[in-house]
Amino acid sequence: MNTHEQTQSFRLPILVFAGLIVLTVLTVLLSGLDVGNMGALLIAMSLASIKASLVLYYFMHLNHEPLIFKLFLGVAFLTLLVIFVLTFSDYSFRVIA
Amino acid sequence: MSELAHPIEHHHDEEGTRLGFWLFLYTELFLFAAFFLVYAVYRSSHLEDFKLAAESLNTGIGAVNTVILLTSSLTMVLSLDALKKGAIKAAKVLLMVTIALGAAFLVIKSFEWGAKFEHHLFLQTAKGIAAGHGSPLLTPGEEMLPVGQVLFYGLYFIMTGTHALHIIIGGIWMLVVLFWMSKGSINQEKPGVLERCGLYWHLVDVIWIFLFPLYYLVA
Repeated sequence: MNTHEQTQSFRLPILVFAGLIVLTVLTVLLSGLDVGNMGALLIAMSLASIKASLVLYYFMHLNHEPLIFKLFLGVAFLTLLVIFVLTFSDYSFRVIA
Repeated sequence: MSELAHPIEHHHDEEGTRLGFWLFLYTELFLFAAFFLVYAVYRSSHLEDFKLAAESLNTGIGAVNTVILLTSSLTMVLSLDALKKGAIKAAKVLLMVTIALGAAFLVIKSFEWGAKFEHHLFLQTAKGIAAGHGSPLLTPGEEMLPVGQVLFYGLYFIMTGTHALHIIIGGIWMLVVLFWMSKGSINQEKPGVLERCGLYWHLVDVIWIFLFPLYYLVA
């Protein structure tokens, strides 16, 4: 059981790493698509978010942390969201000469 | 009297220390978030210039550096894993590989920056151009790069520069951890310092995961 657990803990990071490399290749390949500015931005940021989540959850071991660690992350993320949404609710309606 | 009879034990809360470290990481995240916000606003107001300027960055170099940082994150995870299992030697080797990968990232980055310096794209100001440091990218008759491109390169240098500074700090930290591991003060029972060093290193990786497509790909 112990040896099994050890190989498991070795295998998971390598699997996650392989996933990160695949997503990086995908990011480069999909950036060639002609989907307009917002489309390209949406694809690139979605893939980056998935990669960041993998790093946070598996490499930074959020999967083994208690609930409070995840709540902290949620609060940080929501704060960022509010800052970006409020900024663009202003900038999008400005008339820039 | 009873206090003397029971001397105060040194209490160490590993989970609390880690939670506190995560709080520090969020302050780092918000430092970069401010830069990303400025990028987002200027990109939306100078879209064409941002696309033109982004084409001058080498996607291949950016991709290679992305793979280097992702690999260094993996070796960091494996190093901590090895330390927690008591394999000190493996942990040290893996940490050395992580340091080497961080150094490789910086070397590649410095070549990239060097090429931009040669094209006088660093902190371009009207004053510098008047002194004869105009960029060869300018068409004759133009006094200065369009303002949107100046903003792009300015943000590029500030954001990748701040990121590189974090790589340097992470590298120094890892060297210190390596030294303490040799001395034995970081070991299987007390892996906390390596663990926090790893968290810091992974955050720097997360920042790069967003920098890469925004500067090298979305052109």
